[in-house]
Amino acid sequence: MRIAIVGCGKVADQHVQAIHRISDCRIVSVCDRELLMAKQLGQRFGVSQCFSDLQEMLGTTTPDVVHITTPPQSHFSLATKCLESGSHVYLEKPFTVTTEEAQSLIELAESRGLRMTAGHNYQFTLEMLEMRRIVNKGFLGGRPVHLESDWSYDLTDTSYVGPILASRAHWVRQLPGQLLHNILSHGIARLAEFLDDELIEIIAMAGQSPRLRSLGGEEILDELRVLIRDKNSMTALFCFSTEMKGLNQLRICGPVNSIVVDQVSGSLIRNKNRSYKSYLTYFVPPLQAAREHLRNARVNVTNFFRRRLYQDFGMKELIERFYNSIRAGGPPPIPYREIILTARIMDEIFAQIYRNRAVMSDQITKQTADYADVAN
Amino acid sequence: MPLRETPMDVRYLVEPSDCLLVTGSNGFIGAKVVENLLEYGFTNLRCFVRPSSRLGHLREVLSRFSVGKNVDVFTGDLLSSDDCRRAADGVSVIYHLAAGIEKSFAGAFMNSALATRNLIEAFLEFGRPKRFVNVSSFAVYSNLTLKRGALLDESCPLEDAPQERYDAYGFGKLKQEELVREYGDKRGLPYVILRPAAVFGPGKRDLSGRIGADTFGFFVHVGGSNLLPLTFVDNCAEAIVLAGLRPGVDREIFNVVDDELVTSSEFLRAYKTRVKPFFSVRVPYFLACGLCLLWEKYSKWSKGQLPPAFNRRRCAAEWKGNRYSNQKLRERLGWKPKVSMQPAMASFLAQFESSSNRG
Repeated sequence: MRIAIVGCGKVADQHVQAIHRISDCRIVSVCDRELLMAKQLGQRFGVSQCFSDLQEMLGTTTPDVVHITTPPQSHFSLATKCLESGSHVYLEKPFTVTTEEAQSLIELAESRGLRMTAGHNYQFTLEMLEMRRIVNKGFLGGRPVHLESDWSYDLTDTSYVGPILASRAHWVRQLPGQLLHNILSHGIARLAEFLDDELIEIIAMAGQSPRLRSLGGEEILDELRVLIRDKNSMTALFCFSTEMKGLNQLRICGPVNSIVVDQVSGSLIRNKNRSYKSYLTYFVPPLQAAREHLRNARVNVTNFFRRRLYQDFGMKELIERFYNSIRAGGPPPIPYREIILTARIMDEIFAQIYRNRAVMSDQITKQTADYADVAN
Repeated sequence: MPLRETPMDVRYLVEPSDCLLVTGSNGFIGAKVVENLLEYGFTNLRCFVRPSSRLGHLREVLSRFSVGKNVDVFTGDLLSSDDCRRAADGVSVIYHLAAGIEKSFAGAFMNSALATRNLIEAFLEFGRPKRFVNVSSFAVYSNLTLKRGALLDESCPLEDAPQERYDAYGFGKLKQEELVREYGDKRGLPYVILRPAAVFGPGKRDLSGRIGADTFGFFVHVGGSNLLPLTFVDNCAEAIVLAGLRPGVDREIFNVVDDELVTSSEFLRAYKTRVKPFFSVRVPYFLACGLCLLWEKYSKWSKGQLPPAFNRRRCAAEWKGNRYSNQKLRERLGWKPKVSMQPAMASFLAQFESSSNRG
């Protein structure tokens, strides 16, 4: 399979390394608006065909699959060109800037018999694969009743957020959801896997952390809480925080049992609903939890010795499944329904939090003006 | 503040009225370069700073000179061609100190090489190019083929596999140098390249990686009795300034390293005595080499399950131990250290005492 990369920044390295782990595929070309960037990637990974023009690259190297790792504002136009030239497309997250763009791209891909996937690679880590296996075996005792997705992001290292704060023209600042828009997809996508397409309610509230404020965050929001309810009364809570550290969890509560997936420690805890006589209620469940943690440690050690515990396992797995779906003509690894639902939820969150923020700012301005009137 | 004793009638490449641009001017070395230039009597300075920069350091330097208020503090992004054009407009000498301290190779390349390309293009088109001083690093050298204790000077080979060394910063600097030389060959860019050793002084608190590493929760001291290639920040800034002023050194490359170098053990001992005592384990070089080889092999075998953070190239570059020379710097630029090693060390260590007193 002939692969091309468009956008040769930091994320492109991860893609190249993941692709190198997959058999029967070869990176034939790399492209970046800045030719020097394309060349540095090509030189480091032995790709001789480097371009600064996408159409030229598509015409010259006719890749089977194009990985697009550029800022999201360019996703729609670049992916459209790739699909129109007959290439399948792996689009980094966030898939597009809006739901309309996502729908339009997927329609185009389907009309041409091509496949697309979104860079929701955290959906394919070892512990998430295990979660899916257990859920499919019916561990929860029915369809989930409630979901919780927690995602934290550490602002201590300012190498990522610094340039964003420095310039209002930075591409992250130009996204409808700004900083959140670029980070949320993974945490929302794991809710979209279980939620129904028909959502009854989304309530989002957001604010700014003291840390971001001290860095001069201006209008950027980085603390988010969201409550979602679908037509089947399944509820989901989403929490994004830069104040909390080291939190990256998915909790799935079923009618009988529940599961907690911890993507920081790569572990999966099964909570079984069993009742015990008298004081055993206080003794046995903690021991069972300890056994679960020990099991996770054993699984992780085994995976380490099997060379499967590397950082980008999820990305490699997603890419490999995507390529396999192309080869075999099967469904893509991430159903399009989930990609679009993720985009819809994100659109609604950003519409609410930035509208609410505008209303709050108006209120504060009005209150300030009122106080000024009184003072005068 | 009295001006430098060096008279302005010494033949320099530029006139006192010429416009000089300093990128990275709010940085650890950059602010010292600005200070030195003001001491030399150059007042038509343009200081390029990033929008995110906190300018305390630079402002403090400028406030010490009566002409400091006339210095143009230019806020911009070197990745923006427009910003580079405006910054380079009418400039005769560029001191390019801005560097990409990035962990990723792409990021390091972008902030070092790409930014430099933008700046050089703007300089050649809108400036009055007399000299482009490119501040590189010792990190570009490879001493893999040198023996322990051999002289590492400007003629030594450059790293040819920075990816294997897992050194994004070095990669960025190598590509930056390549680009500068290419512009010299093809477009006649009058450049000088400086490769400072480990720069130390008040304002920089970290121990050099050449002494050891604290990756494993305790300090592993590998440097042993190796001479540390150090340059005190004032001495380094002096070399950089002279590289922009001295005529007849176009296309030359200079290592910047001080005299009276101390050993890794001496530095660590002084640090422990004056700053804070801590536990460290001495690992001899041959053992470090073996462990790095094992790490490197495992990293390859496991296809990067452990990144090749420790490898033979890095081990050699940081801990093999060489001798260093500043002979060329002295002879061609007329440089001599402003601060000798003993007071330089005292000044470096004093910053910890003053901060602990405040605490």
